[in-house]
Amino acid sequence: MKGNVIKYERDNIDTDVIIPGQYLKVHDYAELALHAMEGLDPDFHSKVKEGDFILSGRNFGCGSSREHAPIALSHSGIKAVLALSFARIFYRNAVDGAFLLPIEIDFDAYSNISDGDELDIDIKTNEIKNLTKNKVYQMKPFSDIIGKIIESGGLFKYKPD
Amino acid sequence: MGKTLFEKIWDAHIVVEKENSPSLIYIDRHLVHEVTSPQAFDGLRMNNRSVRRPDLTIATMDHNVPTNNRTLPILDQTSAVQIQTLEKNCKDFGIKLFDIHSSNQGIVHVIGPQLGITLPGSTIVCGDSHTSTHGAFGALAFGIGTSEVEHVLASQTLWLEKPMPFEIRVEGKRKNPYAVTAKDIILSIIKHIGTSGGNGTVIEYRGQGISDLSMEQRMTICNMSIEAGARAGLIASDEKTFEYLRGREYTPKNYESLVSLWRENLKTDHDAKFAKSFTLHIDDIAPQVSWGTNPGMTCDVTESVPFPEDYSKGDPNQKKGAEKALEYMALTPGTPITEIKIDRVFIGSCTNARLEDLIEASKVVKGKKLSPHVSAMVVPGSQMVKKQAEELGLDKIFTDANFEWRDSGCSMCLGMNPDILSPGERCASTSNRNFEGRQGTGGRTHLVSPVMAAAAAIAGHFVDVREMDLN
Repeated sequence: MKGNVIKYERDNIDTDVIIPGQYLKVHDYAELALHAMEGLDPDFHSKVKEGDFILSGRNFGCGSSREHAPIALSHSGIKAVLALSFARIFYRNAVDGAFLLPIEIDFDAYSNISDGDELDIDIKTNEIKNLTKNKVYQMKPFSDIIGKIIESGGLFKYKPD
Repeated sequence: MGKTLFEKIWDAHIVVEKENSPSLIYIDRHLVHEVTSPQAFDGLRMNNRSVRRPDLTIATMDHNVPTNNRTLPILDQTSAVQIQTLEKNCKDFGIKLFDIHSSNQGIVHVIGPQLGITLPGSTIVCGDSHTSTHGAFGALAFGIGTSEVEHVLASQTLWLEKPMPFEIRVEGKRKNPYAVTAKDIILSIIKHIGTSGGNGTVIEYRGQGISDLSMEQRMTICNMSIEAGARAGLIASDEKTFEYLRGREYTPKNYESLVSLWRENLKTDHDAKFAKSFTLHIDDIAPQVSWGTNPGMTCDVTESVPFPEDYSKGDPNQKKGAEKALEYMALTPGTPITEIKIDRVFIGSCTNARLEDLIEASKVVKGKKLSPHVSAMVVPGSQMVKKQAEELGLDKIFTDANFEWRDSGCSMCLGMNPDILSPGERCASTSNRNFEGRQGTGGRTHLVSPVMAAAAAIAGHFVDVREMDLN
């Protein structure tokens, strides 16, 4: 999975800035995507490309349980969010609906990867290749259940062993 | 080795458990509202599924309902559609709904306990992060997303990873319990452990400072567990819990025999081990006011707006976060909190809109007038809270002071209905989140207790409510 990075160097990016409350009445996912990250970065919609990744600090997706948050990012083209840590409801929402991959990385990877870098992420080997900087980082492997739900293509396709 | 209360509830609800695998957990109560449920019901229809236990599922509308002129049609068409969709879904799938005209309508986390639907030892979920509120009754209660809502509707179960138990001890006695409230305790906790301090855990709040609290105050504590990143927060049930739930509309018929079982079993064993522990001493804590854009950015009312370098303690992301927060909040470091002027006051939300909250706030307001440059509204947590408050004459106290007195709903806590801040407006709010834009695009939120919000409404700026004469 290859894509370019949009980096937000801050912690605690909350679901209210990912998709502000006033849009929770919107059921059309394409329209929801127009407002993704609007609370934090009004230029997001014009700069995001299909296949991009978001990179951010600790506790990404904290706050509300709104599944609209990963949906809005996913329908903007975001395939994965790389962060130092995630808030749990956002994390599960991202995986349950197979909207995007929430990938935990360490501080070295976080500091080393710059805005615009091209990455190649392989969740089978847990390797993140930085094609721009010619470096390789390790992602934190998914836990058993998360790996299985991702592999199945979402919560409703997951069948226990 | 003994078990924690959380582990006992978890173990009692395992449907399937294998080593190194997720557990399938049974859900006792599922609360549904209009915003996070429509796609879940659509999913059921698409797959020809029914609701497995409509009798364990209760719905209300709270997030985007108007809080005035309820006899008129809803002006916002998208809100109206979402509300009608919930009505249709509940009718089609046989789910009990407290609609906008019901005397039981209210914020889902206020009506659960008030109707006796929330019970000790049970598992409770809702497509809302503040479901942690119900943990005040010794229940394991947590927020879920819409996919999980659909999964619970279809199966009454969830695949879950087991969180770790986290002990938070609240020790000591408050010198001014009318002025230093449960809100100040939980904001102090979040200030210390941070907004991700509880990630991956279920918090159990324990100690004298917790058992001294009333049930409504305990709900305020558990409500904001999610703001510390925890999956859930709970408090072991005691006689106050059992008394609160006795004789309510949906309290089970065999209640007294359940109480005997709960009294016996629902507590953490003496030799149980927590994965981590934190202690807050409350003898000397002050009323809290948030200054930034997450609930951890909070200080004492007697302090000044911090300098980012002092707040961040050397962490570059924290420093950047504080600088951005101060810019958004239009605050200058070093400004005394009591010199911050406000434009709006919101007394409401699932954190602080229960009867006791309104009673305490009314004591501050009684016989006084709103500061001329401030507008203020009181939004009771449920229509029943509203009725009880009116029976006590609280509505008159607030309206005499020029506050607006509204119908119940989530209202200005999250800016989904017409109750929003205008860009640049500064609000003293009893809600739970001070995120950028939370109460309306460009709005600036300061989180405080109901008495602190009421005092700020009268003064026009933050004041230390301990210094007010409340007769």
